[in-house]
Amino acid sequence: MHSLMSSLSPSIAQNGLADRDVRRASSGWIWTAFSLCALVAVGLFFIPAFIIRPFTHQAPRPLLLAMALHQRAPWGALIAALACFALAFLLWRTVGLWRKALLVLTLLVVTFSAVMARQNYFEWMFHPIAGAQFIAQAQSKLDAKEMILAVNFGNDARAYPISQMAYHHVLNDVVGGVPIAVTY
Amino acid sequence: MNGRALHFYLAGINNQNFLMRDKETGTWWQQITGKAIYGPLKGAALEIVLSDELSFGQWRSEFPAGQVLAPLAKYTKEYEPDWESHVAKLPVVISFPGTELKSRDVVIGLTVDGAARAYPWETFAKQSPVLDRVNGTPLLLVLGPDGKSFRVFVSRIDGRDAEFFLQAAADASAEPSAEKKDWALLDTVTASQWNFQGCATSGPAQGKCLDRIPALKDYWFDWRNYHPDTTVYKH
Repeated sequence: MHSLMSSLSPSIAQNGLADRDVRRASSGWIWTAFSLCALVAVGLFFIPAFIIRPFTHQAPRPLLLAMALHQRAPWGALIAALACFALAFLLWRTVGLWRKALLVLTLLVVTFSAVMARQNYFEWMFHPIAGAQFIAQAQSKLDAKEMILAVNFGNDARAYPISQMAYHHVLNDVVGGVPIAVTY
Repeated sequence: MNGRALHFYLAGINNQNFLMRDKETGTWWQQITGKAIYGPLKGAALEIVLSDELSFGQWRSEFPAGQVLAPLAKYTKEYEPDWESHVAKLPVVISFPGTELKSRDVVIGLTVDGAARAYPWETFAKQSPVLDRVNGTPLLLVLGPDGKSFRVFVSRIDGRDAEFFLQAAADASAEPSAEKKDWALLDTVTASQWNFQGCATSGPAQGKCLDRIPALKDYWFDWRNYHPDTTVYKH
């Protein structure tokens, strides 16, 4: 009996050691996966945002990269962010205070990226015209010298004051049955 | 596009010419060219509609029944009547040193069968009406009676090349802001009078209208960027 116990306990101890190793090794993998997810989520938002920023030069290749990432960002960043949260949940109980803080901080940036990837912040700067209204020229307070963009299809003539278009930039309209995009 | 109406929104900026995407397919389009540069419709091009850049006064006299886009009260503070001088001060991010013009020089850009030409605004305004030939097509570029509006026509009447000049040459130096009721062009082929819309108002050609050429008022750097082979009008 005694010999059995003595032969048993080292083996239990050994098992316990191997178990901790396995846990540590697998937590290493989870950390790697977590970092990757975080990079994907953050990159999908920040890389295009950085390339397509105003007042800088856009070279053709980075621009293509920006559009390719931006196109995939709304879902890509969301899925990556959800994966981050799942992995962080797995890591949470195995780590100390500092690493918890690191997890929280990363999750904040990841969440910000995933949310921003679904926002059109260009339209925060230049609000689109929702439901454009048109008025007769007699009602318009425009000065005769102000410049306008004008189109006409048959008798349907429309003027788009440049001072307004220079702010809104894009307007979808239908003139004389023709769908047009007015841009400035 | 292919019989389907697309709706566009502002999506980014490419060397100070904006990018838009359509809600239907998510394709990316370049503003100045109307070409799809990325996404499902890549390679497609929107049809460019003939449009005018006119003073409100000029347009009002031509289209009395026309409608004006109403300002949105929410954004009236953002509308800058002085946008032109404001934008002129902004830095440029792409430039073409060694080319004929400065980045923020304003040009009238046009293409005839793929051949692009830029007309420096200052030269044009001084010389108007400008007669030129691009790719074999005789062109007439005219500054409006208000001194601000412009239009480009094919200077051909019934298949015959024609030259045009301002009827009241003395008026050319008068106040550009004053609207001139007697403003008219005369052509050398029929000696008819033509208005700023390119239609003959009296004389043998009365009732005829010249063909229009779409043209764009743009900054040199932007025009040159999208039309690398453009020539520049010199005279």
